[in-house]
This record gives sequence, structure tokens and C-alpha cells, in this order.
Amino acid sequence: MDSKKVDVAVIGGGVHGCSTAYHLAQKGFRTALFERDYISSGSSGRSAAGLRYQFGTEVNILLAQYNMKCLKTLGEDLNYPGDLEYDPAGYLWIAYSETQLEQLEKNVRLQNELGTTGSRVLNVREIQEVAPFLNTDGMLGASFNQEDGHINPHTLCFAYADAAKALGVEIHKKTSVTGIITKNGRVAGIHTDKGDWEADAVVCCAGAWSVEVGRWLDLEIPITPERHQIMITEPVERMKHPMTLCLDDGSYWKQCPNGTFMLGVGKEEVKDTSYYASWDYLDSATERILPKMPILSGIRVVRQWTGPYANTPDFQAIVGPTPAEGFYIDCGWSGHGLQFAPSVGRIMAEFVNGEKPFIDVSMFRYSRFEEGELFFEPACI
Amino acid sequence: MTRKMIKDHPILNFEHEKKKVVKFTFDGREMEGFEGEPIAAALHSNGVQVYRITPKHERTRGFFCAIGKCSSCFMIVDGVPNVRTCVTALEAGMKVETQTGMGILKPEK
Repeated sequence: MDSKKVDVAVIGGGVHGCSTAYHLAQKGFRTALFERDYISSGSSGRSAAGLRYQFGTEVNILLAQYNMKCLKTLGEDLNYPGDLEYDPAGYLWIAYSETQLEQLEKNVRLQNELGTTGSRVLNVREIQEVAPFLNTDGMLGASFNQEDGHINPHTLCFAYADAAKALGVEIHKKTSVTGIITKNGRVAGIHTDKGDWEADAVVCCAGAWSVEVGRWLDLEIPITPERHQIMITEPVERMKHPMTLCLDDGSYWKQCPNGTFMLGVGKEEVKDTSYYASWDYLDSATERILPKMPILSGIRVVRQWTGPYANTPDFQAIVGPTPAEGFYIDCGWSGHGLQFAPSVGRIMAEFVNGEKPFIDVSMFRYSRFEEGELFFEPACI
Repeated sequence: MTRKMIKDHPILNFEHEKKKVVKFTFDGREMEGFEGEPIAAALHSNGVQVYRITPKHERTRGFFCAIGKCSSCFMIVDGVPNVRTCVTALEAGMKVETQTGMGILKPEK
């Protein structure tokens, strides 16, 4: 049998895998991407796909600045003929408690210190100006950035995958990676259900499923999968409304460019990677969101689905090399990872190429858990 | 007013004569229908076949699936858009309007 050989094998056809493959090909690596199902079929395509400058830790804020700059013109830059539905509708974090408001103020202060423009704290009257259909009863304030917004997570993945393919990346869909080949103490390739590939390096972008991949190399990647559900309504005429998120009860909602509203709640959920949606979710989402957005009462929900978060102990990603030589990971984004594909895809290619990443992501290192160097991201659910 | 309705069916007995006739309006025109029948049925029996104009291609749509699934019969009823008139019961005094484009949500009074 012909031996199939590439320089780098990327596991996972979500947005991080596709972006990583694209950036690797740009550097001249012969790259193959392996996806068990179809491109964007996992957590990426199931995401609410919010894009924002508004984070609460330095590394995420710096990466976000790069992400947001890229996302503005990404469709053209990747030569994608479809529509990424990039929509700078703004992003509003509403607060009902002093603690949350203080946290939002702290986040905005840090963003401003690090050079983010446009993030600011709003009082109730200012909230009504940017989100006129919001019921502000009981609200204390919010943080807001008009340049934040949302995107179509599927076309975002397709755009990166197509661009990677145009640069010569092999995209193997419907191909399950079943193991990792090691030789002389380092990674030497992968096993799949369609044969083996030799590779000098393997990058794991398998989200919540990375735990399984790590075990093949005796690595315990500390990710707890958590089910998250979203529902979508029938389309109605666009209205002035930014993507809105409430940390007090974990609810968030946005209106997509086609007029549908996407409603989500981050709450205590089943800890697995299953795609089952539950009936009780309809109640928990609507009872939180409708009082805040009464205009949506009576709008019909047409569909609900599930995608797993890849939660780490500090809700921060795990990015970089690992103790297994030649094995790199980019996973554990804990629910806010989609928007980091532009910066971290680039950084993964830099790691594989032996370069120093253009933004320091050493905080995200795999070893931080045993070193006890956890650092929590306050701006996520 | 039962001009476009089946009177004699081999199995079903509609008993139209026992039903209560109520008045409603369609785009401002006064019409009559049976209380409790689907709004779309009342419109059909009055000869109305266009219920909405689609958002993207601006095409006419009317009675289609008749089971509340297809979105073809969405109309504005008493100011509320996207009402499935094929599964919504007619009431006296209803204001039924042709819907053009996507529904526009209005804040509750």
C-alpha cells in the first residue's frame, strides 16, 4: 500500500481545525485535515457565533483585537464566494447585580488599557438607546461595544476549509481518526478508519472530543464536555437589537441577518458530548429571555439543537505544544472559541513551525493545570 | 356565502346551517364566515386566494398545507403578524390583513 504522508495532520473540521490547516498551508506545510463528520458539524456549527472585543483577561483581549480586525474582511481575504453574514450589530452585556456590573466595569477598563476602542459602560438610559426593545426594569447597567457582533458559524468554517483546500490542504471528511502513531518517542502519524497517514506533527482541534485524542498519548486533557442548547425562531423583520448577554442568569440572544432570533441559556447541564435536546430547555430559555425582551412573546420557535462546550477548570483554552513531542493542542475554549479561529489558527501554525507566537499565549499552556497556574476568564458563560 | 364550500360530501356532514355566521374584515372589506372555522377557510369561501406576499421574491401565496406547517398562509390578524390562518379559528370582528414581507413585531401595549 502506498504510504500516505503529510507534514502535519490536523484533527477536527471545526473552525479551529480549518483555520489551523489554512495557516499551516500558507507556511508551506503539506497538511491534511481529518473530520469525522462534515465541516462545522461539531461545536463550531452549533454555536451562537458571537464576536467580541469584550473579554476580561489580557490574553483574550489581545487575541480578540486581532480576531475582530480579521473578521471584518475575512470573506474577501479568503476569497470566499458565499456570505459569512458578518454582522456588527453590537454586543451588550447587561447586569442586574452590583457584582456583575463591577466585573463589566473592570473588563472595560482592562480592554481600554490594552488599546481596545469602542468598549464602554452604559447606564440604563444609554442601554435603551442601543437596544430600544429591551425591558430595562431592574437593570443596573451594561457594557457595550458597537463593533462587536456575530457571524454565520457554518460559512465561517467553510471559508477557512475552502481557502485551505485552495492552498493544497487535503480535507478528509467522514474520516474518523482512531489513534496516533508514535515512533522513537515522538508523534509519527495517525490511524484513521480509512488507513494510516504519516505526519511529523499532529494538531488536535477536536474540541470536547480532544479528551479521547489525548488518551492515545497518555495525556489527561482536563476538559469536561457540557451540553449547551440553543433555539431559533421564525424570521421577523430586522429590528435594532445588538447581541445581548446576561451574566446574572446566563441568557443570550441575537437576531440573525435573515430575521430569525437565536435564544440561548448557559446553565447547569448534562456533562457529555451528546446532541440530545431537552424539552425543559424551552422553559428555561423563554422564562429568562421573554421578560427582558417582551416583544418576542408570541414569536414561534422552529428548532432547537445542542452542541457541547469544552470546559476547562478555569474556562480558558489549552493551546500549544504538549509533553508528547510533535503533538499540539488547540482546544478547551469553554464556549467562546469560535471567534478565536483567526488568531489561534495562525498561532498553531507558528508553533508547528518553531516560531514564537505573534501574541504570547503561554498562559494557555497545557502544563498550567499541574503547576496550579489557573487564570479564570470572567467574561464568558 | 357558502358559494365556494362543499355542501354534500359522501362521508362528512358539515352542517353549515347550524353554524353561527360572524362578520370580519379582510384588508378593510367586510366579509362573513362561520365562527370557529379556520380564518383561511372563511377567506376561501369569500373568494380570497392571496394571503401573503413573500419577503424575498415578492410572490403571492395562499392556502397550501392547511395544517399550520408551511408558512404559506401567514397573515396579519388584529395587528399580529405571522398568524397561521389555516389553523387559527375565526372570531367575530377580526381584522385580517394581507401580509407583505416578514412580520414586523410590535411592542406590547
